[in-house]
Amino acid sequence: MVKRYTSLAYKNADDMIFGKSVYPVKAELGLEVGAGYVTGEVNYAPRPEAGVSKEKLVSEYRRLTTDIMARAVQVGFPGISLETEHVEQMTNNPDWGGEVAHVQKTIMEEYHEEYGIKTALRHTPGDIRENRDLLALIGAKYDTLMESFEAVADAGADFLSIETMGGKEILDYAILRNDIPGLVYAIGCLGSIDMTMIWEDIRKIADKKGRIAAGDTDCSQANTAMFIAGGLLDKNLAHTIAIIARAISAPRTLAGYEAGAQGPGKDCGYENTIVKAITGCPIAQEGKTSTCAHSDVMGNLVMQCCDLWSNESVEYHGEFGGTSVQCWSESLNYDAAMLNVATETGNAKMLRDILVLSDKYRDPQGYVLAYDNAYSVAEAIAKDGDDLYLRAKNAAIACCDILNAADKKKLVMSKFETNALNDAKAALDAMTDEADTFMSDSMEKYKAEVAVFRPDDNYKF
Amino acid sequence: MDVDPSKILVRYNVAKEKAQTPEEMAAEMYPSTEPAKTICAAIFDGEEDDVIEGLEKAIEGGADAVKLIDDVLMVGMKIVTDLYDQGVIFLPNVMMSADAMLEGIEYCKEQGGAAPKPKGKVVCHVAEGDVHDIGKSIVAALLRAAGYEVVDLGRDVPVDEVIAAVKKESPMMLTGTALMTTTMYAFKEVNDRLLESGIKVPFQCGGGAVNQDFVTQYELGVYGEEAADAPKMADAILSGKGLAQLKEQFHKH
Ligand code: B12
Repeated sequence: MVKRYTSLAYKNADDMIFGKSVYPVKAELGLEVGAGYVTGEVNYAPRPEAGVSKEKLVSEYRRLTTDIMARAVQVGFPGISLETEHVEQMTNNPDWGGEVAHVQKTIMEEYHEEYGIKTALRHTPGDIRENRDLLALIGAKYDTLMESFEAVADAGADFLSIETMGGKEILDYAILRNDIPGLVYAIGCLGSIDMTMIWEDIRKIADKKGRIAAGDTDCSQANTAMFIAGGLLDKNLAHTIAIIARAISAPRTLAGYEAGAQGPGKDCGYENTIVKAITGCPIAQEGKTSTCAHSDVMGNLVMQCCDLWSNESVEYHGEFGGTSVQCWSESLNYDAAMLNVATETGNAKMLRDILVLSDKYRDPQGYVLAYDNAYSVAEAIAKDGDDLYLRAKNAAIACCDILNAADKKKLVMSKFETNALNDAKAALDAMTDEADTFMSDSMEKYKAEVAVFRPDDNYKF
Repeated sequence: MDVDPSKILVRYNVAKEKAQTPEEMAAEMYPSTEPAKTICAAIFDGEEDDVIEGLEKAIEGGADAVKLIDDVLMVGMKIVTDLYDQGVIFLPNVMMSADAMLEGIEYCKEQGGAAPKPKGKVVCHVAEGDVHDIGKSIVAALLRAAGYEVVDLGRDVPVDEVIAAVKKESPMMLTGTALMTTTMYAFKEVNDRLLESGIKVPFQCGGGAVNQDFVTQYELGVYGEEAADAPKMADAILSGKGLAQLKEQFHKH
């Protein structure tokens, strides 16, 4: 049995700040995360042509890693973190991912020895646990995935991460139907059950190999909701529903820490501020410097409590300013330098609040994720921390309450957003307080409605 | 510290919102006679049970079950998709209305013992190697809502399977979705293989990674920016438009 969080790591929301966490972590080549300074975490994807063979892929990563490290010393970065999100071949063939990690780490060691630059390497195997039409969370693919973690840990990856898919089969159905109980079931219940299983095993591998079980994100669900919601003028999902999905994703991501993750959490987890309030573990975030990968409506705000600052992903290719990875790592580093100056000169909280206010009223999503409100969501989760269902429901209710209590002259919502919020709140109020009842009712409902739902094959209830 | 955000950002969605509520706008569009009015309202609200109840009453009152599909259910759904096109209501409302309408159709078919002829058949798929299928599901739902029969091949569909399905089903149109720059090249292969077999079916392609410039590189391709373009293109095909005219209509630059 894992121990669930029932209290927060921070006494006050105002204590939460970028660059600092309660429990920093340290990578082999000296980089500390959450120990007082922010570092850029550069992300990249190989060109499609590079995926045809192991040799080509390894050579692509060799080139891009060298490019990044060369730029880092040219511009004087004190440190840099690299994240390799696997393309599917690298996870399905664990030796491919292992070889890439080895080649990258070797280059990073050379630079570390020569210049003393502090570095860390994160590897994120792909969640390959699915067949063409069905999730396959448990079984042969799970074993391959674990072999992939072993291989990259062996080869030198400091931080082990993944973006798991547990609950997604229900989310894909529920999110297109404004089905709020469905979001609680998919993300808060099924997702957390899968997270608990997989992170216990990742932690074992990390301990065995002397690496750090870093963290997960609810990319597959909360980011799906965020992308379907899109920009201000998109008509596919109310942004108030997207932020409810996000709030529910915090207890899911938290389940990874309960099962052994130590941070830094994954960059695309926009729920990470809520999670950091509870765990005190360092987090990566992405926003204004990940516009190469996607658009969001809170690019500055999400910097508020980051420990690593990421660009999410960019294809490796040439730009006028060098290769894409060089350009983006340079931008990340300048962002980090600005944050670190604020810390050194005693202005960190001032800068944090400026970043927050630039987006707090741009959208309901940013409003709830602003650290003061995120902290309230965290409190609602910890209150019933032992009950996966109740804490997810609490998070959703806290999210609604925060939006309803907002200054309507500042956070201006459309009627559409407000109506969706009211409907969601009514649906939440109608939900049971009994986890067992909810779980069995939902099982029955979704077995009937969602053809691809195979609970017995995928979840260890 | 706090700020007056009005000088920093504009919530254009609020500024652009219509004065009338969606419910008011829908009510103005409902047929004036019963039971059509009540059934249309139930479709708008996405209430399956009320749709069935309305249909029951109508059939008891002597209405022809199969005719109700075109005369009432499709009319109600059209109100919903028109309001979606105008940006008045959002996608989940359309999905819930479509679910309710489709249940209504099933009910009418059972009661009437016959099925009306669908407007046409469309084959939908997600490119080989790609599992991103939410956009495709939206496309399929909107096509069904507009009265088309959809053969949904699912995600990560091998080119061979697409070709086989087109040969078997002879659809009026094929759709493809790709979210990854690595997978969208499968569309070219589908195009070439169809042409080899002498099949000139319009092939509408969309999804995050796909853009018009890419789609214009192969003969059968027509770009679809958003899901609502799929039923629009099917309607255009029904009205007799050929490939060249479809490209003219759906290619913006
Ligand atoms: C949600 C998501 C996922 C979910 C998918 C869930 C699902 N069931 O679909 C999960 C978690 C499974 C996932 C997995 C992966 N993902 Co992903 N994912 C996304 C994300 C965040 C949103 C996509 C989405 O659903 N959008 C909303 C839907 C509604 O949009 P849409 O499909 O484009 O459809 C709209 C229109 O395009 C149109 N449309 C679509 N099709 C058609 C067809 C026609 C005919 C018409 C008219 C219109 C039309 O209608 C819709 C509404 O109008 C994007 C980010 C982004 N920037 O897009 C990344 C993204 C697509 N993913 C990416 C990657 C890399 C992956 C993974 C490889 C990650 C990994 N390392 O494992 C795997 C892929 C596995 C595989 N082989 O496919 C990359 C792709 C990069 C690239 N190479 O191009 C992206 C761009 C993220 C990024 N910035 O790096 N992902």
